[in-house]
Amino acid sequence: MNCEQARTLLLDDARGTLDPERARALREHLDSCAVCSNVAAQERVVSELLRTRLTPMAAPAALRNALAQQVASALTGEAGDAERAALPARAASELAFDELPRRKSASAAPGRRRAWLSMATAATVALGVSLYIARRDGSDQLLREARNDHLRVLYSEHPVEIPNGGIHQVKPWFSGRVDFAPDISFAGDDDFPMLGGAVGYFMDRKAANFIFKRRLHTISLFVFREQGLDWPDGATRQIGPVTAHVATLDGFNLLLWRERGLGHALVSDASTDELVKLCAKLNE
Amino acid sequence: VGQPSKATLLAAHALSHVDALYAFAWRLARDGAIADDLVQETFARCMSHSDRFEEGTNLKAWLFRILRNLFFDLRRRENRYLPDTLIESESASLSAPDVLRGDPEIARLKNLVAADIDAALQALTDDQRTVVLLDLEGFSEREIADVMTCAPGTVKSRLARARAALREKLWEYAT
Repeated sequence: MNCEQARTLLLDDARGTLDPERARALREHLDSCAVCSNVAAQERVVSELLRTRLTPMAAPAALRNALAQQVASALTGEAGDAERAALPARAASELAFDELPRRKSASAAPGRRRAWLSMATAATVALGVSLYIARRDGSDQLLREARNDHLRVLYSEHPVEIPNGGIHQVKPWFSGRVDFAPDISFAGDDDFPMLGGAVGYFMDRKAANFIFKRRLHTISLFVFREQGLDWPDGATRQIGPVTAHVATLDGFNLLLWRERGLGHALVSDASTDELVKLCAKLNE
Repeated sequence: VGQPSKATLLAAHALSHVDALYAFAWRLARDGAIADDLVQETFARCMSHSDRFEEGTNLKAWLFRILRNLFFDLRRRENRYLPDTLIESESASLSAPDVLRGDPEIARLKNLVAADIDAALQALTDDQRTVVLLDLEGFSEREIADVMTCAPGTVKSRLARARAALREKLWEYAT
């Protein structure tokens, strides 16, 4: 076995999917080739990084809901009311496709059974639009949306559309771009410099995004109309004049509060204490 | 009477893959609005081309194939698509001697954060990024070949080359 052949088998070997003969040949090569065995060690770390560190991304709630509604209206258009109860079971028996066989977990038999169940689940979920949305738009959804929006800021090539030349420049920039006046008068300071602003979406509505820094951490502030949103009911904390909801999701800290019809979400991997300080400055 | 169509059933089942499709679209296009459009269009195609879905095959792989084709159409329209076969560095031999890395160096690689890994992925070619992402999704070599419309026998080496390129990018962030 030469180096080129060996390198193409490293991933399969790490996953235990090589046949015994090739696994033995690879082992022999690695024992005699310092470079390839070093590459194998590096590859193990790369696999671990990809598996554990790559940011999980979820579809925005607006997209998810729009698709669910399309499917639901197609389903209700095709099925009569009386038949709805029986639909999921029939839907499942009509088509039989296997779920993606997961490398580790789904090696055994339950594949087909799970495909059946998840098919039934998908149809049931799509049928009850209101039910689906009620569940999806729970208070948890608000936190998840804020987290996802922050991730989009973090990994956007142009997170800032209007760089900060003072709040008197950033605030007017939003007029005509969002359908409300963001009630922010804090322009940043040495502890929390403001990088600038951008227009984004929060759930199904436009949001004004302000981006702050705290040392190496990026902090997103989203301001949006709060009407009709299902507000979280977890722990709260009084910060100056506002009562803020405090939450942590996937390593990100969040503060959410409402003021004069506007919702505000601060999201960052900076500590909750830092977010509380910024929240206090924003509401001074 | 009242039976849901195959198109609608496929779309209903596809709902459970929205997050995976969106993440794939986002990492290909690196733009939320484009990712949104790509996923919407994938659903539209899923419904309008449902007769082309072969029962018994992997629906998720089929959806990924639709999305990947839509993305590459977009790239071609922008004249930004270069198949890897046209990119010289791609033909570099896999057995080109790598730099030997000591344990302390490899330990440094472990300190990379999400943003570094994301940036390294972005620095790959479209095809390289695609094969790495599809492999991460857990697709089989045959499914990856289907999504990328390439010969199944080439998937292993494509993946190995893409991972080698990714490794080199990651080292740039780790040093």
